Amino acid sequence: MVEPKLDIERHIKYWQRCLKTLLPTQYTSTDSNRIMLGFFILSALDILGAGPDTFPEKQRKNIRDWVLKCQHPNGGFCGSPNHRFPDSYYVDVGHGKQQMDPASLPATFFAILSLSFVGSFEQIRRDDCLKWLKTLQRDDGSFGEIVTQDGVIEGGRDMRPCYLAAGVRWMLRGDTPLSEKEKGDDIDLEKMVDYIRSGQTYDGGISESFQHEPHAGYSCCAISALSIINRLPHSPSLSGTEPQGLTNIPETIRWLVSRQVGYTVEKGEDEEETKTPAPPVLQGVYENQPSAPTPSLQDEDSVGFNGRCNKKVDTCYAYWVTASLDILGQDKAQLLNTKASRRFLLEHTQHRIGGFGKAPGDPPDIYHSNLGLATLAIMKEPGLKPFDSALCVTKQQKEIIGRLREAALSG
Amino acid sequence: MGKYEGDPEWDDVVPIPQDDGEGALAQIAYTDEYAEAMGYLRAVMAAKEHSERVLDLTEHIISMNAAHYTVWLYRASTIFALNADVEQELSWVNDVALDNQKNYQIWHHRQLLVDHLYPSISSDPNAIRKFAESEVDFMTQMFDEDAKNYHVWSYRQYLVRKLNLFTEAELKSIETLLRIDVRNNSAWSHRFYVVFSDPKYSTPGSHATEYDPKIPDEIIDREIEFSKAATFEAPQNQSPWNYLRGVLRKGGRKLSSQECFAGEFVKIPENGEEDIRSSHALDFLADVWAEEGKVEKADEALRLLGDKYDRIRKNYWDWRRGTLKEEGITKGLAKVELAH
Ligand SMILES: [Zn+2]
Repeated sequence: MVEPKLDIERHIKYWQRCLKTLLPTQYTSTDSNRIMLGFFILSALDILGAGPDTFPEKQRKNIRDWVLKCQHPNGGFCGSPNHRFPDSYYVDVGHGKQQMDPASLPATFFAILSLSFVGSFEQIRRDDCLKWLKTLQRDDGSFGEIVTQDGVIEGGRDMRPCYLAAGVRWMLRGDTPLSEKEKGDDIDLEKMVDYIRSGQTYDGGISESFQHEPHAGYSCCAISALSIINRLPHSPSLSGTEPQGLTNIPETIRWLVSRQVGYTVEKGEDEEETKTPAPPVLQGVYENQPSAPTPSLQDEDSVGFNGRCNKKVDTCYAYWVTASLDILGQDKAQLLNTKASRRFLLEHTQHRIGGFGKAPGDPPDIYHSNLGLATLAIMKEPGLKPFDSALCVTKQQKEIIGRLREAALSG
Repeated sequence: MGKYEGDPEWDDVVPIPQDDGEGALAQIAYTDEYAEAMGYLRAVMAAKEHSERVLDLTEHIISMNAAHYTVWLYRASTIFALNADVEQELSWVNDVALDNQKNYQIWHHRQLLVDHLYPSISSDPNAIRKFAESEVDFMTQMFDEDAKNYHVWSYRQYLVRKLNLFTEAELKSIETLLRIDVRNNSAWSHRFYVVFSDPKYSTPGSHATEYDPKIPDEIIDREIEFSKAATFEAPQNQSPWNYLRGVLRKGGRKLSSQECFAGEFVKIPENGEEDIRSSHALDFLADVWAEEGKVEKADEALRLLGDKYDRIRKNYWDWRRGTLKEEGITKGLAKVELAH
């Protein structure tokens, strides 16, 4: 069988189109997260070796100005200029500046990452941002995405904001131990670890909370967050007294590798999840004919990933699962069927105009195109830069972020 | 002329246009309709206006961008400021939810509405039951479209907490979904929550991954039987196998207590061809045998999985064989040390 190839030039073309031309009107539903889209574009080009370090200085400055324009006067960033009012509206009404449309945590994470591609951290209002970050944490250790003018924490209660908060904190504070005063201004890491621990489910996965179903995206966010704050087993700075963030790693690994699903074209993609006909009764019935597939005896050429048990395959879950195992260390991503998942991505979801679609046959979109590429980078695809799964950027970019942080702190 | 610009009702409002500047990333080809409406939204938010026309405007924007994270909050605060009819809002939200299956904000909005409504019915058990029924009816409608919709299940768990729905009716409604699709893992997860977090008998705050000594034996037995029955129906369905492991851990019971059951799907004769009806049964038995110290049998089960019955995960099964041997050696060493 001929091994499929990643056509790097074609992917670069796809991403340059995303960078330079207007995105189609259908993207209006992501208008509030344009900073995230912007980050995915810059980061994908970086993975491909055609990142913003190759752009003319004028273009880099324009991008920098645009991201900074989304910075909220009270700290943090808004997800799009549509949420950012002209300066004159943020007047002080006695208890700090008006919130207007508040800053958002995902936007802040992606804005800081984006700035790292085009220059400096010096114009980030670091102290305001960290102060604001603390106000997003709830009593149970979880984080919201925004705080309203009345101080109400809003937004999901799940693992994503934990990850984003850990990332923002790392980019602005780094790994060095904090002084007592700084600790008082910091988010509560112990509570955050408790929250993540309590989100682990009976089958080894991680969910938004223990009440719900585990999900590969939440699992990856939880594992990444723990890695960023050095709370995974084998973390260099983990002393004996601090609890590890994961309660049962072998079970988590079992759950992660179980996300691999053999993919054959003949079967047709929608057959994967066809509803089984209603059996007459559930309890105590013995049927010889199983309504789910029998154990697979053949080698599958292609292996996709689902995000939850008995769901369909989707490009982004290749990322969430591969990254999770990669972060767990000791080459755990090698426990996956790398060759067959590479084949799945390249032959079934890679698009002929470049980029990746969500599922076989789908047109490419920015989110799945970035994560498809990142998956290949974790699997050490030739021609792609080495990747840091926890921060979701190339290893090289992670180093740059460290240097920008030091420069801003000493400046 | 735009919809709002030409409307005398909006004469008094000066829209605040969006300023994108030169280096904009991810610029979207907005429709004129969207760009105009957003300008008016910014203007009413700046003026902190809460009025009927704001409800119309937010509805209009939600129809174009349901993921706008503050338009929903602004709408909720407008509803509460106007003391508008919450039940009417809920029925509008039903329609929006049916049209936007993947949207999270809708469900958060719904929670805000229910939190607001709840004090007015909390002292009347009949009213609570009626309300719960109508919510479950709506969720059933959503599940007809997608029985694994994550946001709907999140909301379901919120409702169970809020209205204390650890009830027979709730268990029945999960069973109904599992009868339609025994592979619906969302329904299995929800069952685990409703059974093992029931405040009537569970330890408050007990994690899903922990033994809970307060769970009565008959509940553990009942759940074991439930997962077994579903496994007989579809032995290669991983959901009930995971569920069984979870139930045993909650009950503090050993996996080996279910060796016979798992053996129903795995026949490995001394001579001749083995008969394996479920790779998950083989995986389960590998753990049972490891638990009992039968390392060779466990290793053979893992070998069969990697070489034959679950080849796509061969690397994983080989790794398990490696850790099995390491653990065997460590245990052996520990014994030697004790002997000294
Ligand atoms: Zn996806």
